[in-house]
Formats: sequence, C-alpha cells, structure tokens
Amino acid sequence: MRWSDLLRMSAGSLKRRKLRAFLTILGVVIGTASIVVMISLGLGLQQSMYEQMELDGGTTGLTVTGKSGDGMMYSYSTDAGSEEESSKYITDDTIEEIKALEHVKSADPVLNFSALALKGKYEGYLQLYGMTLEAMESLNLELEPGGRLPDPDSPELELVFGNMVLVDFYEKGTGSGYWDTGELPDIDLQNDKLFVILDQDSYYQTQSTPEMGAEGGAEGGENTVRTPKKYVLGACGVIAGGPDTYNTNSYNVLCDIYKLKEYLQKEFRGRAIPGQPTTQSGKPYSQFVYSSASVQADDMENVEELAQTIRSLGYDVYTNVEYINGMKKTLGMVQAVLGGIGAVSLLVAAIGIANTMMMAIYERTKEIGVMKVIGCSLKNIRQLFLLEAAFIGFIGGVAGNVLSLIISAVINVLIPGESLWGTEGNISYIPIWLMLASMGFAVLVGMAAGYFPAVRAMKLSPLAAIRNE
Amino acid sequence: MIEAITVKDLYKLYRVGDSIVRALDGVSFEIHKGEFCAIVGTSGSGKSTLLNMLAGLEKPTKGEIVISGSHIEKMKEDELVRFRREHVGFIFQSFHLIGTMNALENVALPLMFRGEPAKERLRKADRMLSLMGLDRHKKHMPNQMSGGQQQRVGVARALVSDPDIIFADEPTGNLDSHTSEEVMRLMRRVVQSQGKTLVMVTHDDHLAEYADRVFHIIDGKIVKIDVNTSEKNEKGKKYETI
Repeated sequence: MRWSDLLRMSAGSLKRRKLRAFLTILGVVIGTASIVVMISLGLGLQQSMYEQMELDGGTTGLTVTGKSGDGMMYSYSTDAGSEEESSKYITDDTIEEIKALEHVKSADPVLNFSALALKGKYEGYLQLYGMTLEAMESLNLELEPGGRLPDPDSPELELVFGNMVLVDFYEKGTGSGYWDTGELPDIDLQNDKLFVILDQDSYYQTQSTPEMGAEGGAEGGENTVRTPKKYVLGACGVIAGGPDTYNTNSYNVLCDIYKLKEYLQKEFRGRAIPGQPTTQSGKPYSQFVYSSASVQADDMENVEELAQTIRSLGYDVYTNVEYINGMKKTLGMVQAVLGGIGAVSLLVAAIGIANTMMMAIYERTKEIGVMKVIGCSLKNIRQLFLLEAAFIGFIGGVAGNVLSLIISAVINVLIPGESLWGTEGNISYIPIWLMLASMGFAVLVGMAAGYFPAVRAMKLSPLAAIRNE
Repeated sequence: MIEAITVKDLYKLYRVGDSIVRALDGVSFEIHKGEFCAIVGTSGSGKSTLLNMLAGLEKPTKGEIVISGSHIEKMKEDELVRFRREHVGFIFQSFHLIGTMNALENVALPLMFRGEPAKERLRKADRMLSLMGLDRHKKHMPNQMSGGQQQRVGVARALVSDPDIIFADEPTGNLDSHTSEEVMRLMRRVVQSQGKTLVMVTHDDHLAEYADRVFHIIDGKIVKIDVNTSEKNEKGKKYETI
C-alpha cells in the first residue's frame, strides 16, 4: 500500500468513532500539557537564574584580583606593601600576561574609586568604575535615550551613571535620602553637572575644621590642609531604568579608566593615591595598580581551567562557575521531578490509547479479516493501526502544546516572576525545542501504546471474517 | 486442459475433546482453468473447510494443494496474503463491504492493497461497477444498497484485480431467491466472458446447476462429481444473449 493510502485509511477509521477518538485524544492533550507546563516551570526557573547570572557578571566572566602578602586586600590596607615580594598586583603587565593565556577572549583592567559628589543641597558617594571602552561596550549597557559611552579622547572625565545612583544621595542638612523620604533628589543626571571630589580625606578635613572649635582648628592649621579640587563633571549617559530596576551597574558610575587614572595622578601628585599600595616608607608603588581585572573566557566550559591557570600565577580569581554548576545540578533535579509528575498523566493517556486501540480491533475484527482475505499484507495492517495510534498521539500532542501555551501565558500574566524569585522574567517558559520534543514524545507514546494492539490485529485469523454469523 | 487447481489427498483433522473429527478425509480433484465448479454439501460436510484451504485461510493437516503452479500448503501467512492479492478473488456470503467506504472505494480496495495509484484504481473500479450494472450506485455507501446490489459490489471487488481464480463462499446465502438467481447469472456470465476459474460453495442443489461441474461432498469425502451439460448451462448462456 502507498503511504498516502495508509494515512488516509487510518485517519478515516479514527473519524468513525468521533467521541471515543476525542476522549482518547483528550487524555493525550492533558498528558502532554502537564509535561510541557511542568517542564516550562523548570525552564522558567532556569532562565531567570541565568538572567540573574548575567546581571552578576555572566557565565564566562572571571574577576581577577591581586593578592597581598599579609593576606589582606591591598585596596583596604595602605601598609600592604610591607611584604612586597609575595604580593601580586594587577598592573598593565598583569593584563598583558593574562591576555596571553589560552581561552582568554578579553582582559581589561578595572579601577574602582570612591568619590564624593555634591549638587545643590545634596551629596552622595559615587562608586567610580574606570573601565576601558571595549569592556564597557561588552557590558551591553542599555542607556537612556540620548546617552552614550564615555569618549576616551574627551578632555574631561565623562561619567555614565547607574540608574540607582541617586538613591544613595542625601540632603546635606537633614541626612535624609530616598530611603527616608521615598523621593529621589531633584537632580537630572543626564543634564546637570556635579561637583566631584576625589580627595575625600582632605575634603572632610577642610569641612570639619571650623566645627571642631579652637583646639581642632589649631591642629588643623598645623597639618596644612589642602583644599581638594572640586571637579565639575557631567554625564554622557545614564543607564536605563528607574530606582527599582536593579542591574549590576545600577549603583555604579562608569568612566574611562585612563582618564580616571590621569585625574587621580594629577589630584594626588606626589602622594599615595588611596587604594594604591605603598612601599614601607609610604611612597607610591612604582607601577599603577588597578583594583581588578575583568577577564572573559571564550567559553563557559573553559572558565574553570582558566581560573586555575590564573590562580597558579598567584592571583585571586572569582568566577560564577561553582555556583553555576551547583545550580545546574539543582535545576536538573527540579526539572526531572516536574517532568516526572507530568509524565504520569501521559502514562495514563498511553493506557487510554492502548485501550481504545484494543476496542477498535475487537470492533473491526471482521473488517481486518476481510482485508487480509482480499490481500492486505500483514505489514500494512500493523502499519494502519500503528498510524492510527500515532495520529491520536500527534493530534493530542499538538492540542496539548496549544493548551500549554495558553496555560503558560495565563501563569505568566497572573504571577509575575518578580514575586517569586525576585528577578524579572517569566515563571513559565516554553522554548521551541520543548514543543517539538513533546509532540514527538506524544507520537512515540501513542505508537508504543498502539504497538501491541497492532500486532494483535496483524495476527488475527482471516477465518474469523468469513465465518458466517 | 490446463489445471487451475490440483488437490491431492487432502486431510483436515480437528480434535474435539477426546475424539478426532475428520473434516476432510482424503480429497483429491482437479479444477480446470476457466471452469465454474460448485462444491455442494450439507452444513458440516466439510465444504467450507475445503474452500478455506483452497484460499489459504486454513492449513491442511496433510495433502497437497497446487494453485496456478504454487504449493500453497507450504506458504507462510504473509506469502499467502501476497498470493491471494495476486491470484485470488473472494466473494463472501455476507458481502463484507467496508461500511465507511462507498461502492467505488470498496471495489478499488484490492487494488489499493497492491499499491496502485488512486486515479488508476478508481478508473478500473468504475468500469467494473458499470459491468455489474451498478452505474447509479457508485457513490452509495453499503448501507444504502440492497443485498443484491451489495453482493454485486462484492463480485466487482473480487474481479477488479483480474485474478486467476475466484472463490465464492455461499454467495447467495443472504439473498432472496429472485436476487440469488440474478447474482448467479451475473457470475456465470462474467466467468464465461472473462475466462475466470470460479469455485463456489453452496448447500443449494438448485444454484449448483449453474456450474459446469458439481462436487458433492459428504462427511469430508467427495462422493459424486456431476458434469452439467446443455440445459442447466443454457441458463447462463441464455442470459448472455439477452
């Protein structure tokens, strides 16, 4: 028999008993939908975890920091240089060294510096992150309209403000900020210029002097307080989002690293820049030291190996890999459990298919016999019944997927992702492969359930047909 | 004369409880090509068993059946199905048309099993139905037709694949006597004009008169072979000339 005839005949026999076919298919629909929806919940969880991971620096990122001999982070300890021999700092040489390693896609220095910003009656701390332009581009920042990344050739230090920077600003007099009043300071980061003070120590000394009275004043005089320079800096861009949408750089202020370095070296000429290691005598270290290096591996698989290599060079490395691996294991288990729950209902549906097919064969015993007598091959008979069962599986699979999409949409509308996992994204996520796989699985289940009935039909004696009733 | 069917020492034994029933007890005969044979006997005489074995639906206990040069007693089930598909047509007592197909599709069914394209097989089926005088019933479903019409569709189905041999198992058993005569005359005419070999089982001596030869079977043994001449066969011939 031709395939087209086989298909037509088996579809035709399905149409004969519409209600029964419908009920059997309904079983498959429910089975498929429960599997798909269950797995989609697991996938939604996975996706939101990956999104979270992306916010936390991605899956291929490594953060390399230096190591100081006394075990303390150099950035918080000005006397870390006491055991210079065993200390490792991130310098330009380090960056070059890492870049030369295998599996490294990019390596860029990062300079973290805390500065004070003043604007009208408000003041706030800025976490300045000096980065190279390439590194900033690779962050794929979403800026408010009109914004752009800092131009390294610009004469001024251009800033990209995080969308939540203003949250940390407070009123000078009362000390109340966003968290107290619920109102953001009246500052338009995009257009307003801020006074930025890099040398905070000097600033506070000048600030506190008058308040400390005569005694303090005398002391202050002795120390020849330097008046810190107030830089008037403007934004070239603001990261998109309001005060509630968190991302990695929400609280940060990004700027060009070389510009920042230049500013710092100018501001602290002849002195140690805060955060820079010093020699025992308090002199600055011979080379400029960055806070950390942001390294991107070429693939997630190589992150661990790369981390080991860099550790063996004597640096501290932080990656998300351990976390990701643990998470993967958990997710795999969650998905297996959810899929298993769904699979039970598909199993029940499979029993339904087997039952329906057995019924169909009893009903059509005569017809099967006649077909055999007039020359329908055994193989064709088996194919006819297998196809019929596969049809049930296929129709059920398609309808089940449609149902799952509806259920998934309803779940996502009713329960936003934030409420459950604190991140954006959908609770239920149905990728194309899940739809195709579930349909294929439904067909497979249908055929498996239809196999024994089909073999039974094939083995029916043709004599039964011509036996006179 | 060319032998279409040769049967030699055919036995079929059934075990019923402790005793053994001999449904066929050493049957031997030949049927010539183009011959119309009737096997006549009462119920339980073994006539249906004989037909089933000729059609390869039952295995003989012992003996040989040679049809168109092939030993069908040695064939496996799938070989038998293929053999029937290529060489045999079958007419049933209760018609056994597929209820969900119209007359045309029913007739085309054996051709579908052969894998003929739809257009071709429907053309052949159409021609066959016209030959049966069922022009107006081609699109009718089996339950929209009378018994006689249904059996004529059954005859068309048996003939459409152009088989060497046609087996008919009580073809008029479910029809009234008038319709029976009609169907018999039709079969007679077709066999004669197309040169087919037809083997028919019946319990009705009167209907057997349409055949060229009549095998009388009692208790699994052929007891008498009548050769019809002149008058009885004239019925068919007369019909043909009308």
